[in-house]
Amino acid sequence: MATHVREHRDNLVQRLPLLQLVFVAAVVLIGGSYWFVQVVHGDYYRELAENNRLRNLPIKAPRGLIFDRHHRRLVENTPSYNLLIDRARAADLAASLEFAGGVLERPAAELAELVERPAPSAPFQPVLVAEDLNLAQVARFSAAALEHPEFEIDVRHLRLYRHGPFTAHTLGYLGEVTEAELARPGSPYVAGDLVGRRGIEQRYDLTLRGEDGEQVVTVDSRGRLREQSGRRPARPGQRLDLTLDLELQQEAAVYFDRRVGATVVLDPDSGELLAVVSAPSYNPNLFARRLARDEWRELLDAPHDPLQNRALQNTYPPGSIFKIVVAVAALSEGVARPSDTAFCSGATTIYNRRFRCWRRGGHGRVNLREAIKESCDVYFYQLGQRLGIARIAEYARRFGLGAPTGVDIAGEKAGLVPDPDWSLRVRGERWYSGETISVAIGQGPLLVTPLQVASLMATVVNGGRRVTPRLVRGERNDPGAADLDPAAVAVVREALIAVVAERATGAAAQVDGLTVGGKTGTAQVVRQKTWVDSATLPYEQRDHAWFASFASDGRSRLVVVVFVEHGGKGSAAAAPLAKKLYETYYRPATGRQPA
Amino acid sequence: MRPITGPLPVVSLPEDRPRLRYLAKVRWLLLAVAVALSAIGLATIHSASSELPVDYLPRQAVWVAIGLVAFLVAFAIDYHKLVKFSLAFYLGSLVLLVAVLLFGQEVGGARSWLGFGRWRLQPSELAKVATVLLLARYLAAVNRRVLGLKQVGVASLIAGAPMVLVALSPDLGSAAMFVPMLGGMLLLAGVRWRVLVAGLLIAVVVGFVSWNVVLLDYQKDRVRTFLSPGSDPLGAGYQLRQSKIAVGSGQITGRGYGQGTQSQLRFLPARHTDFVFAVLAEEWGFLGAVATLGLFSAYVLSGARVAARARDRTGILLVVGLLSVFTVHVLYNTAMVVGLVPITGIPLPFLSYGGSFTLANFFATGLILGVDFRRYVNR
Repeated sequence: MATHVREHRDNLVQRLPLLQLVFVAAVVLIGGSYWFVQVVHGDYYRELAENNRLRNLPIKAPRGLIFDRHHRRLVENTPSYNLLIDRARAADLAASLEFAGGVLERPAAELAELVERPAPSAPFQPVLVAEDLNLAQVARFSAAALEHPEFEIDVRHLRLYRHGPFTAHTLGYLGEVTEAELARPGSPYVAGDLVGRRGIEQRYDLTLRGEDGEQVVTVDSRGRLREQSGRRPARPGQRLDLTLDLELQQEAAVYFDRRVGATVVLDPDSGELLAVVSAPSYNPNLFARRLARDEWRELLDAPHDPLQNRALQNTYPPGSIFKIVVAVAALSEGVARPSDTAFCSGATTIYNRRFRCWRRGGHGRVNLREAIKESCDVYFYQLGQRLGIARIAEYARRFGLGAPTGVDIAGEKAGLVPDPDWSLRVRGERWYSGETISVAIGQGPLLVTPLQVASLMATVVNGGRRVTPRLVRGERNDPGAADLDPAAVAVVREALIAVVAERATGAAAQVDGLTVGGKTGTAQVVRQKTWVDSATLPYEQRDHAWFASFASDGRSRLVVVVFVEHGGKGSAAAAPLAKKLYETYYRPATGRQPA
Repeated sequence: MRPITGPLPVVSLPEDRPRLRYLAKVRWLLLAVAVALSAIGLATIHSASSELPVDYLPRQAVWVAIGLVAFLVAFAIDYHKLVKFSLAFYLGSLVLLVAVLLFGQEVGGARSWLGFGRWRLQPSELAKVATVLLLARYLAAVNRRVLGLKQVGVASLIAGAPMVLVALSPDLGSAAMFVPMLGGMLLLAGVRWRVLVAGLLIAVVVGFVSWNVVLLDYQKDRVRTFLSPGSDPLGAGYQLRQSKIAVGSGQITGRGYGQGTQSQLRFLPARHTDFVFAVLAEEWGFLGAVATLGLFSAYVLSGARVAARARDRTGILLVVGLLSVFTVHVLYNTAMVVGLVPITGIPLPFLSYGGSFTLANFFATGLILGVDFRRYVNR
């Protein structure tokens, strides 16, 4: 039996080497796989592992706050919580949305629509589900983090404009960066950034935004933060101190509650703008969250285009305010002396064409001072005829018309100072000499912005020295002397004081205790054949009302320009606001309460 | 042919005790490797459990200690005696497998554990040893150069019964281990190649039927995920991907003990059990992985040496059966960790955390060395 067993025992062992060989081959194969994964592709997997655990979290730099000249906060940053979903982490998307819908009190189907909207650029990026969650909702999502790791709460700081529509045009608002802005070489933005749109927010975006930092964190497989490693702190945006005076800004904005137009309040010494108001306005806080399409449409379709900054983006005929320029030009060029008189019978005929004065009966015999005071058109028709369009245009440009003032808000219009060159180039027809006569009283193709008029008034107040209007306190960038005869400017300035003081067209702006000077303007929208009371016309055909003025209490001076679109006569529609603003501004000096 | 229940040929007499001086001739390397692997396992389990709710190191240490006792028991008992009672063991383990299907605790989708208070037993581990013993007994008794179809059929039935029960639990990984056991033992026992090929064909057919009828969805998902890992980034493909990242990021020398980010930051699932080798590969690199594979190879090749010099058919078959199971565990697990084969719940002997499994491996080591010890027994 033993031999029998032995025989078959050997037979059993016969195939053993084969099994060993198979085993060794398998071990070599597996060892080779480890070689490939660990040695050949090791760098690749090491990097994957690093990405697995390291996340770069952006640290958003807080955007600089904006203050008015008296350190009153105009803008603040308020935290806002957004809900994001990482679809790749959701085990059951429908269940996740059901849960979110329950917390947000919104139908899950509505959320599904948002979430399933394709995001072409980054399919694995978390998708925004809801904005501006309240703290209770945030707490519920945080508490459910274990069951619903797919949800993320994103904190971002929203801009809250404390005074909403009152400062809307000046401050601007924020909007998400566009693809085009991102593509621009050297663009400091990353996708999803909010950048300034319009106003100060746009002009000073790089100052305000600071520089985002970065936090490298180690996370575990559930995305939970385990430790913080590298950290590059954010450089907060710088604060901006504006030259605006919130009180004046508000007062002007309130005055324009039901009017359309603009107001500019300017310190002629420094060029600092104390108020820039455009009406109608809009609520910039609407832009803080994603604007629904119909909301956007509503804003675009609103009457009188509230997004437009009328103080510097719309141009209007200056009307009689332009007589300041013509008067200074005539005096400087020696075509008229202050004592020269003209007879106004209510109309005159120049170049075989009849030009009417605004006063039907005429002003009788007037000198320059009286012509400015009474805004006599006939007197200025004659000055215009003597000066010619070339010299009028030259002086208009010396006052800064026809070019942007250089204010630190983007989108400023240059206006238009017409001359024969322009006529040929743009209109393709020669200058018609009768037009010179119209331009002499601020009509015709001449166009200015309210801000340019304020700048012009500052030049008058400064005796010919120009300042660049600006909204941010700091460095000045003034063009300096305007090549204007200070004596001529002084004569005109005295006449302007008479306009207010001597119960003439600007009388409504008189404030006791102050020296106030000003010029009303009534810019015709539609040329009238005869004397017509603008107030009887339909709204769109009514004249624009101007009041360009300055005041002084002997120490500080202030320029106020009020423009009311289709407001009728400047003396009635525009001057009263100037008075209010002077009262407010000089209240500490005069010690009186406004009426 | 003798019926398997009939009297067995007497190949060793109970009074033939091996002399103690032969202890020196035993291939102790096998035990040394087992202990070394257990030590590596304990260290890796400790590192892997740093972020788990409990440290599995003390528990596994207890299991290793109990395993060493099991080794001594298996070594001391003459394997002929065990073989003699193998039918009883076998039937007993079948009863336990049925019991586990009826009353077992479900862990990870499979009803594989029997609970006894604080203790849990995995009857499939018991069934593997019992089946090897019974197969060894049957095939040794066949005592022919070439196996007939009938013997192959009977052997297949012996292996098939526990396999089906384990598969029903459903624990496919453990069930699959009966195949190499049967295959290895049949191959040595003299199965014809054509029968082996036919058997493989049958396995394919069975596999086809299993896929369409037997497999549960989560099991199918695992296979599908293997075939296209990108399709399910957070499901089973997630495991595969994270495991590969862990292994690959170890590079040549590893990230250092306790420094594996994949393991320490919980990216790697089942890192103290089925994927413990990924932790090892991450922290000790290619050198560590290859050294450990070398230890496993030393174990298997030493075991094969024991089989080659075993005294009788029973001994050879017993060692080969046990080694086959062990080998396939090692090969499949290490291949799975590196992404060569689909993820199945097949742990790594001596390294993975698990009581029954550790116990079974030490017991098997004891049996193998017991066979070696008794090769000089005179009759």
